[in-house]
Amino acid sequence: MAYNDLRAFLQRLKDEGQLLHVEQQVNLEPDLGGAGRAVTRLGDNAPALLFDNFYGYERGKAVVLNVVGSWANHALMLGLPKNTPVKEQFFEFVRRWNTYPVSVQYMEDAPFYEHEITDEINLFDILPFFRLNDHDGGFYIDKACVISKDLDDPDHFGKENVGVYRIQVKGKDHLGIQPVPMHDMAIHLRVAEERGVNLPVAIAIGCEPVITTMAGTPLLYDQSEYEMAGAIQGEPYRIARGKQTGLDLPWGAEVVLEGEVIARKREPEGPFGEFTGTYSGGRNAPAIKVNAVYYRTNPIFETLYLGIPWTELDYMIGLNTCLPIYQQLKSAFPEVVAVNAMYTHGLIAIISTKTYYGGFAKAVGLRAMTTPHGLGYCKIIIVVDADIDPFDLKQVMWALSTRFAPGKDLIMIPNASILPLDPSAEPAGITHKIVIDATVPVEPDVRGDFAQTIDPPAATEQWEQTLRSLWNESLGKDK
Amino acid sequence: MKTCPRCDAEGCSVVYQSPVAGCWEVYSCPRCFFIWRTTEAATITDGTRYHPKFKLNAEKLGTFRNVPAIPSVREA
Repeated sequence: MAYNDLRAFLQRLKDEGQLLHVEQQVNLEPDLGGAGRAVTRLGDNAPALLFDNFYGYERGKAVVLNVVGSWANHALMLGLPKNTPVKEQFFEFVRRWNTYPVSVQYMEDAPFYEHEITDEINLFDILPFFRLNDHDGGFYIDKACVISKDLDDPDHFGKENVGVYRIQVKGKDHLGIQPVPMHDMAIHLRVAEERGVNLPVAIAIGCEPVITTMAGTPLLYDQSEYEMAGAIQGEPYRIARGKQTGLDLPWGAEVVLEGEVIARKREPEGPFGEFTGTYSGGRNAPAIKVNAVYYRTNPIFETLYLGIPWTELDYMIGLNTCLPIYQQLKSAFPEVVAVNAMYTHGLIAIISTKTYYGGFAKAVGLRAMTTPHGLGYCKIIIVVDADIDPFDLKQVMWALSTRFAPGKDLIMIPNASILPLDPSAEPAGITHKIVIDATVPVEPDVRGDFAQTIDPPAATEQWEQTLRSLWNESLGKDK
Repeated sequence: MKTCPRCDAEGCSVVYQSPVAGCWEVYSCPRCFFIWRTTEAATITDGTRYHPKFKLNAEKLGTFRNVPAIPSVREA
């Protein structure tokens, strides 16, 4: 089912009616940002958008938005039918995740080596950068795979990181990047800066969606995004070597930039409209000098709209944020049934678990906060019983409203770590966190009046099928 | 050279001109690194109309924190 490159995936979207080609001429601002926001209003099966006619550019420049910005497109990324329910996508994701690692396949003839520039680089010649939201501090590359290594252990393949970071275009060959301290790239940068040397980086723009999705997944520090992408796509991931950096690159990328993060230097960056639905404040962030550019003929600039959830980002990172928390929790507590951390990249997470003794659910909730991702997220944890589907918010609200006792089931952890982008943090990077235990108390925590729940009458499932059939028949007759 | 609509710094230079001549230019600020296209709305390109909450000056820029922090250099 693997897609070799972005173009192959776009073709699949087109074949499935999930790619909308906008042929009219548009202005880079405000049309692309506006369209990126608007497409999120078309529902859970919204299409990707392709633009290729911009005022001021000759034909040949192309921008795609919302490539995995719906559950339909997410299912197609996994090679599943586009109407696959979210919960089924989650458990299929889990099944493939458990086949990790799948070894990579090195390839020599990467298409992006078709064109190469190392002198007088001007990135604007290659890609039509634009402003997404009005008060962004500039034009951004916000859906690229950024590759770097741990200079203390450069031969460790798993420690080579592929991550998505916001990248501000500051000049012809000059970028700003924001790796927050919890992210693997920040560890690589810290090592380089402790050594007093620049950190080599590569930026791959316009990749097929699985590696970009894995780059946005909170894997463990020594887990390889490429080997996980192989597991998710069901065959070895294709990679190529960077000519200057020696870094491993997604073979099918549209554009690759090679360069270096300048050691011990910070420059004003931002603000940028973030996945939290607010603008991040301005900060001093690391700077990148681009030394080489490689690209395919007529490269496609892939980007995503960010704003108040839900946007493409929420579809892209929803299930893959749930997965590592689920796996890491389950390794400690096999009783855990499922985790829904789809909201704002897991700032809130809902965990369903079996409980055998009083206080157990609270311990599960606290453990979620100490997973690697939880250290920067998991500000609010809701723990529900195994009979509650954490992906069904109606069921979660029922559990909260009937099983949660505010005087006994709320734990607050003061001054915990959180990503600096959380607008409620004070100071940035610090917050109180809470566990809300919405499970039915069990021995020896005996309290409340939890009578037997009302099970569905015996014929319910049979009648559900019957009613669906009758309804479909009646709809057919009406046509 | 133009004045930055966000931080009012002088000396903003053209980093790119539209390949179709005369459509637009892109400018970059050497102080706050703001970038803008001349065809954007006046609320972005005109410093007198730029949103006050997002305006910058030397004092505000001086309050920016380093993210991530710069670590100490290792002992040789």
